Amino acid sequence: MLYCIKMAIYGVINLKAKFSQYLASIAPELKRLVAILGESYDYVSVLSTDSKGISLTISQRAKNVTTQNITTERGSVVRVYKNGLYSEYAFNCFDSAEKLAERAKAALDSQLALLKLTGSKVYDTAKLDDSPMELFVEKDAEILPEECDAGEFINLFTELSDEGMKTIPGALDVMVRASGTHINKMFLTANRDLRQSYSYVEGSAASYAPGKDGDMKFTHVGVSGCGGMELLYGLREKIKTLPGVMADLVASEKIVPGEYEIITDPTVTGLIAHEAFGHGVEMDMFVKNRALGKDYIDKRVGSDKVTMHEGARCDESVTAFAFDDEGTLAGDVIEIDRGILRTGICDALSALRLGVAPTGNGKRQSYDHKVYTRMTNTVFDSGDDKLEDMIKSIDHGYLLRGMQSGMEDPKHWGIQCIIERGYEIKNGALTGVCVSPVVMTGYVPDLLGGVSMATGDRVVEGNGACGKGYKEWVKVADGGPYLKTKARLG
Amino acid sequence: MLETLKKTLASLGADGWELTENKTSRWEFYFIRHSLDQNRAAETVNYSVKVYKKLEGGLLGSASCEINPTDTAAEVEKKLSDLLERASLVKNPEYSLVSEKITLPDKTERVDVQKIARDFIEAVASVPETESEDINSYEIFVSEITRHTLNSNGVEYTAVYPASMLEIVVNARREGHEIELYRQFNSGSCDKEKVRADVLAAMRTGRDRLSAEPTPRVENIDVVLSTEDAVSVFEYFTMNANVQAKYRRISPFEKGRPVCDWQGGDRISVRAVRELDNSSRNFPVDAEGSVIEERDIIKDGVLCDFWGQRQFSQYLGIEKNSVISNFVFEGGSALSEELRSGDYIELVEFSDFQVDSMGGDVAGEIRLGYLHKDGETKIITGGSVSGSMLEAAPTMKYSRETAQYDNIVIPAVVRLGNLRITGVK
Repeated sequence: MLYCIKMAIYGVINLKAKFSQYLASIAPELKRLVAILGESYDYVSVLSTDSKGISLTISQRAKNVTTQNITTERGSVVRVYKNGLYSEYAFNCFDSAEKLAERAKAALDSQLALLKLTGSKVYDTAKLDDSPMELFVEKDAEILPEECDAGEFINLFTELSDEGMKTIPGALDVMVRASGTHINKMFLTANRDLRQSYSYVEGSAASYAPGKDGDMKFTHVGVSGCGGMELLYGLREKIKTLPGVMADLVASEKIVPGEYEIITDPTVTGLIAHEAFGHGVEMDMFVKNRALGKDYIDKRVGSDKVTMHEGARCDESVTAFAFDDEGTLAGDVIEIDRGILRTGICDALSALRLGVAPTGNGKRQSYDHKVYTRMTNTVFDSGDDKLEDMIKSIDHGYLLRGMQSGMEDPKHWGIQCIIERGYEIKNGALTGVCVSPVVMTGYVPDLLGGVSMATGDRVVEGNGACGKGYKEWVKVADGGPYLKTKARLG
Repeated sequence: MLETLKKTLASLGADGWELTENKTSRWEFYFIRHSLDQNRAAETVNYSVKVYKKLEGGLLGSASCEINPTDTAAEVEKKLSDLLERASLVKNPEYSLVSEKITLPDKTERVDVQKIARDFIEAVASVPETESEDINSYEIFVSEITRHTLNSNGVEYTAVYPASMLEIVVNARREGHEIELYRQFNSGSCDKEKVRADVLAAMRTGRDRLSAEPTPRVENIDVVLSTEDAVSVFEYFTMNANVQAKYRRISPFEKGRPVCDWQGGDRISVRAVRELDNSSRNFPVDAEGSVIEERDIIKDGVLCDFWGQRQFSQYLGIEKNSVISNFVFEGGSALSEELRSGDYIELVEFSDFQVDSMGGDVAGEIRLGYLHKDGETKIITGGSVSGSMLEAAPTMKYSRETAQYDNIVIPAVVRLGNLRITGVK
């Protein structure tokens, strides 16, 4: 199979994120490395990265600029396979193919010697497919992070921070920060040559002010997406919402714990998507029998109003790659179709073990970390309801806005979401009372089973990072429409 | 590469610079049950450079970047030259870099990555499993890290240290119902006995969770924490004693003043230490080149002084400071069993227990707890705990006994009032 794709995101802009000259220059030697190691192993691949970026933080109190952020990197990882076992060697000091092969073999052979001493058995896995494939993708971006005029963005962020200080009630500081990376990745095997270049950026404006009980209230807005630093100009509009939100937070009360009817805004909807059936259907967890979802394929897990997509192709977000870190092309799967769980997402090795096709969700924190099944864009489909009708339909409940953090429990389907604030609804109308923070907990099928309305709009955001357990941080995006359901709040 | 960097920085005329070289050699083993899923080795070198430029009006510019070991001399020169230009745009009040020469000997003892990895594999293999409790999967990470710190004032120090992590998932099952417990243990090297004991403790927790009933509605009951989740309660104090939190006006703490309005609770005492036995953060010199001095941070509930980065320290008028890697909290006034008296709820397992150091908000979904009420004990699950450290800390009592979690020693048991429990029935 031969693929050759050129992607264009914006019809008007036609500036490409050019593929790394460095990666292009080392490709021939890496192909020789694959060939040399191919004499000792039954499968060999190399993933090489050269991702440059920037990170800027501007506040009233301090300023910081660095070219490092969580996705900047340059290095390679070799994956080899023999006797049912996959092994990897990561490095960032380049050398001749012969010397690199020697170093990789020496390191991995010492590990096998140790495993022999400890009597460890191998989890026997089949060989990966290596049918021919070529891909070259350069996505559009107007201002690449590594080439941006830092002074221009320092001035913009200073202006936004100053404006925030004037308009946000009680603000002790307004911190504007952004990071962007021009991702370059190259995946090589004996028969495959995949190369991609794209840029993503994320930016936020955050403020904090003393609450009425002596505590500290914090709020933020963000922009993110696949593209160049030009996306950060969107912060100009977004920051205008902060004064009103902060006034609500400062005056906010503590919620009376209990079960309520709720409406989730797109950020909270996204958090539920991510925690409920994002982590819950990562199929490396199926291999380990760590996810209840495995036993619920083709069974009901939500109401008819619940349809959920996952895949790098679902949205031009911070994780809109063309191929994943194992050389599988980006996908778009329907995980939940009108309440019925249809499938999960899968990296290539877990797919081999489960006898299914990989979905393009094999991701690494960086070249020197292992691949796990990870989310990309996790998004609830829109419905056809209106937000005002949702509010009118509630006797006593809350409109929840602003996600802070969440935690999944794929084995038992518990969910925990920490939400910035809730607005009380009584007798079909907002009362003006704000509560904060709000801890939402529950049982995932109850939460999704209770979804009775969904708005026609949809927002996908990708600020921050997602961990697997408490490590392996990768970029993800999530979102959806406003949803109405029931949950326990505390 | 180091010589190229030093030479280039000198030729470009930076007013100051800091440079860190990090060499990492890491072994990783991934097991599903006790079968090897994958083995990995990583050998990497990373260079971080921060340059400084004096600006008009008492301001100091700075910017930082990463240099790749594969960068050519010309690429290094271009990167550093661009960096200096950017530094002139990033204007902060002036502060000075470390200039005190380090008299401590370099820490050069090599780390036996292979032996530590073997110890972890053997320690996990030695855990007795039964039909009802066993190990689902585990991941072992063992690193030898060599950190070489230099700056333009001639400060230079090298520390070689181990950093390890065991992530393990255990299952417990009964009558067709299976639950799992996730644990992540960080340490310097492998303490085989401790690993074994910690995994066995997780299995015991799993057994009890199978017998748990939904958390009932309970009001005005003290919460007892006795696991690693309690670390975040104590980190609320160390985070608010940080110079950056103070300079950014996030921390309400004041030097020489009580860190909260103590109302009958034990008064916190915490000390910064250079090294802790088996900590994964045993480097005696911080990344800026400051020697980590052992000292009291909070004593008897009163803040002695803030700790942290040089920049923010100097803005607060603290000339000499360092970034602390290891903390030791003193034990409290009571024995653990004395804290476990009367009515209380002991929470031992959460989805994710969080204490927000910025506002003091406390939140966590309960996966396992023990409700002690009216002389009876119920094993409970579900619901949540929430509240604020501002209300809970003043009455907090904690045990004389202490427990170590990687780079922090805290009282083994802590009892908190004024938190809310949201039940599920």
